[in-house]
Amino acid sequence: MKRKLLTLLLAGSMTATMFAGCGGNDPEPATDNNASNASTDDDASKADDNNSVEDTSAPEEDASVEEQTLKVAAFEGGYGADMWSEVAEAFEASHPGVTVELTIDKKIEDVISPSMKAGDYPDVVHLATGREAALTETLTKEKALLELTDVLDMTVPGEDVTVKDKVIPGFFDTLGTNPYGDGVTYYAPMFYSPCGLFYNAGLLKEKGWDVPTTWDEMWELGDKAKEEGIALFTYPTTGYFDAFTYALLDSAGGSDFYNSCMTYEDGIWESDNAKKVFDLIAKLAEYTESSTVANANDQGFTKNQQLILDNKAIFCPNGTWLPGEMAEAPRADGFEWGFMAVPAVNEGGKGSSFTFFEQMWIPAAAENQDMAKEFIAYMYSDEAASIFAKSGAVQPVAGMTDQLDDDNKLFYGIYDNGATAVMGGFASTAPVEGVSMADTLFGTVNSIVSGEKTVDEWQKAVEEASDQLREAME
Amino acid sequence: MNVKKGKARSIFIGVCVAPAVILFFIFMIIPTFNVFKMSLYKWGGYSNNKEFVGFENFSKLMQDTNFLRSFQNSILLVVCVTVVTMALALIFAAIISREKIKGENFFRVIFYIPNILSVVVISAIFAAIYDPTTGMLNSILGIFRGDKDPILWLGDQKLVIFSLVIAMIWQAIGYYMVMYMASMASVPESLYESADLEGANHVQQFFSITLPLIWTNIRTTLSFFIISCINLSFQFVKALTNGGPDGATEVFLSYMYKQAYTNSSYGYGMAIGVIVFLFSFGLSALVNLATKREPLEF
Amino acid sequence: MKKKKEMSAKSLYRLFVYVVLLALAISIIVPVAWVFMASVKENSEFYGNPWTLPKGFYFQNFIDAFETANMGQYLWNSVLVTVMALAMLLVVALPASYVLARYRFIGSKIINILFMGGLFINVNYIVVPIFLMFVDGDTFLRKIGFADGFFLNNLFVLALVYAATALPFTIYLLSGFFITIPRDYEEAAHVDGSGYFRTMIQIMMPMALPSIITVILFNFLSFWNEYIIAMTLLTGEAKTLPVGLMQLTQAQRAAANYGQLYAGLVIVMLPTLILYIMVQKKLTQGMSLGGLKG
Repeated sequence: MKRKLLTLLLAGSMTATMFAGCGGNDPEPATDNNASNASTDDDASKADDNNSVEDTSAPEEDASVEEQTLKVAAFEGGYGADMWSEVAEAFEASHPGVTVELTIDKKIEDVISPSMKAGDYPDVVHLATGREAALTETLTKEKALLELTDVLDMTVPGEDVTVKDKVIPGFFDTLGTNPYGDGVTYYAPMFYSPCGLFYNAGLLKEKGWDVPTTWDEMWELGDKAKEEGIALFTYPTTGYFDAFTYALLDSAGGSDFYNSCMTYEDGIWESDNAKKVFDLIAKLAEYTESSTVANANDQGFTKNQQLILDNKAIFCPNGTWLPGEMAEAPRADGFEWGFMAVPAVNEGGKGSSFTFFEQMWIPAAAENQDMAKEFIAYMYSDEAASIFAKSGAVQPVAGMTDQLDDDNKLFYGIYDNGATAVMGGFASTAPVEGVSMADTLFGTVNSIVSGEKTVDEWQKAVEEASDQLREAME
Repeated sequence: MNVKKGKARSIFIGVCVAPAVILFFIFMIIPTFNVFKMSLYKWGGYSNNKEFVGFENFSKLMQDTNFLRSFQNSILLVVCVTVVTMALALIFAAIISREKIKGENFFRVIFYIPNILSVVVISAIFAAIYDPTTGMLNSILGIFRGDKDPILWLGDQKLVIFSLVIAMIWQAIGYYMVMYMASMASVPESLYESADLEGANHVQQFFSITLPLIWTNIRTTLSFFIISCINLSFQFVKALTNGGPDGATEVFLSYMYKQAYTNSSYGYGMAIGVIVFLFSFGLSALVNLATKREPLEF
Repeated sequence: MKKKKEMSAKSLYRLFVYVVLLALAISIIVPVAWVFMASVKENSEFYGNPWTLPKGFYFQNFIDAFETANMGQYLWNSVLVTVMALAMLLVVALPASYVLARYRFIGSKIINILFMGGLFINVNYIVVPIFLMFVDGDTFLRKIGFADGFFLNNLFVLALVYAATALPFTIYLLSGFFITIPRDYEEAAHVDGSGYFRTMIQIMMPMALPSIITVILFNFLSFWNEYIIAMTLLTGEAKTLPVGLMQLTQAQRAAANYGQLYAGLVIVMLPTLILYIMVQKKLTQGMSLGGLKG
């Protein structure tokens, strides 16, 4: 599973948000012009349903249970679809009268957005940010999501703890759950996984090279390897620099600096700390395997990952899905995956690793909002979390890692050596025409590697994009 | 009598033209009008918050270096692909239909195949051909230039656009060849026979008979090709490079999609749509004007 | 002596022509054959050299593609949409092109210019406004009691949109042909007392046959391969083949399962190839007909 690479394929990837058109139901009914005749109807029926939800969700009233259908749309990632059916069944069993209507798809955006445009909204959507079609981001920018702050204080169904107490501390404090940076939660954190540097542990062992723990050791290793025709570094596509860069930023300047970067503070990208990160990536570019850029696209990224398996490169930034993704690929004798946090940028500082997590949210126009919130609260129950864990999906619930297999214990043990966990990406802004931070900050890496652009040009472009996005923050 | 005839004529014209005009109006004119209209708004796509901003989207476009770059790329692609494809297609069509080539039908069938393939299939093929280490192109070139650094067909920012050009020519050439063969087949054989008697060779015949007689068709295809080139360049870019590396192959339609659908700038995207429309209209009009000849009847 | 020299220069030239033609043919055959070859490879074979021959025939790829993706149904949908769209297109476009090429009447100039302008309209960006129009239409229908709506998820409506968006190109192409036919034919027909409709159908249409076949061939392919409109207007279970392929390729990508991807490509390619070879024969027939007519 590659969270940002799933998409593409001609315009298809676009269609998700392409139906951007028909008046969806706006949470602020003010400027309603011609488009949505349906919204008033929906609002009316929504109100009805809300009442009925309250009736049924009270467990005492079993006798008068009203049948209701909860429409759940979930992205089918590398964990498979079965766990969702199982969780849906378990939810139905614990909530009499509720039927869960599941829609699961690897391109869930394409499946749900057309009907959303036509006024037919799912009640709960599990879909991460950072996907190419950016449906979640679009709805966020359009303020079409339901506020979830009250879910934090809800009791997890079947248990006597609140959601807030169940979830690992820190997860609800990030831009990954509070996209506007104002402390109001709109996304519920789901399946987390650390991102870091994967490396060719078998090769290092064979050559008797130590695993570098600082960037200086890293460069030494790079020079040693170069003599033997092995490159230090490769990357699948520049999209994978997001987690890597986030980790570097946090390591370079601490969490306050990191949050300033993510909220586009004036001049932050021209600061010394930022400069350290730019320079470091530029230096890494010199150690990058020469054919990497040619394959750093959605058609060819597996070839870059294959470089590691073939002993042609040592490190690449990636997430925990990588070994599974390359499970069937041939490999050099004695090959073994290694996984580590990103080494500290400052001497004696802490290493860091970005924690990627997926999100679940409720469209503001959903019909069964209360039941939808109940469903989200249920996601953190031991029952649900165990079902997910069987497929390798780890909920941010304390104690979950104990249930994992050995491979996964390695991944989730990345923080045990004192590496900082970095969470949450850039703050949401109103759309700014022609400006994309991802393209400017990460896409440019290709040009740095091929020498088309200098670090100064890069840094300047990022600061400019940051300036423009800051103005659009609300 | 005359009045009656006039009435019959009017009915005939009305019955023949009205359905086409009505369909065209509903499904093309009105949506296009909406594209123009939306280009004057700031709108994310989902909400009802449409804000009228006049020509602001356009003035932003003129300062958007990414857009200007995609514009350059588009022009480069259109010009290269059009010139090479047209020239080769005409020559091959003439050779196959005039020289008594054995296996004419075989060649015709084969040459047309790329055009019936989906762009997705072609992109998968070319991704394999362009592979830096195991690709067909580099392994063949390796025979001549030895084991130097491999050429990065899709990684070198100066080269990658021409890698796209090759894939597009490969895809389009058969289409236009069959088109020209169809029109060359309607050139009367007797003209060539008398030219043979006068001692004109085949090259002369090509320029004095074939070209002038299928000129209308060439003009048609030329104008059309520019449109389809803009369309196809987008599909190829999406499937093969996704605009990369770092925007080196971004074309204006792919940029439009990026803006309208992943950057939530729907109005801005539609403004690019308007520019694409005006551009293709202008370019085709120019080509049309430059190639105007009296249609020959035979 | 001199004649002999000419002969050898000529045969050298012919040899050169053959070499060039063959080289082009090979550059097409090899990659296409490669896709077929790749479709019977096991997934692990994709990570090495892509030009190696498959170890064996791994037909499971095809079974998987048919079972996981609903390819049979998509195939039928595609056939249905393409045939309906072509029929509608010809019925509407043929008389219109003839009249626009041959008759001057009030507004004829404007209509001609509009259709010309239509050539420059890119379907890629008008599909969203079209979709919005249908959404409004369906919303209206729901209001007055037709709960299912009509415009979205309707193969016939999709075919109608295909036909409509192909009009400018088709009319331009056919008018271009009609203009080159001498007026003598119609004048003779009128002298014989033939009416407008009869002249058009019995005299002009047969002459236009090669062009009509060209039009059918081109539009067939563009309808068959079209997926942007199909994907937008068919939001439910019914899909056309290219949309199905898109889903298949994306699904395969998610699991990096190349064998199934290429099997899917073959499933999509094969009917087109077979159909093309059939149409190809018709095309040849039409061409020789046109040639004879002069």
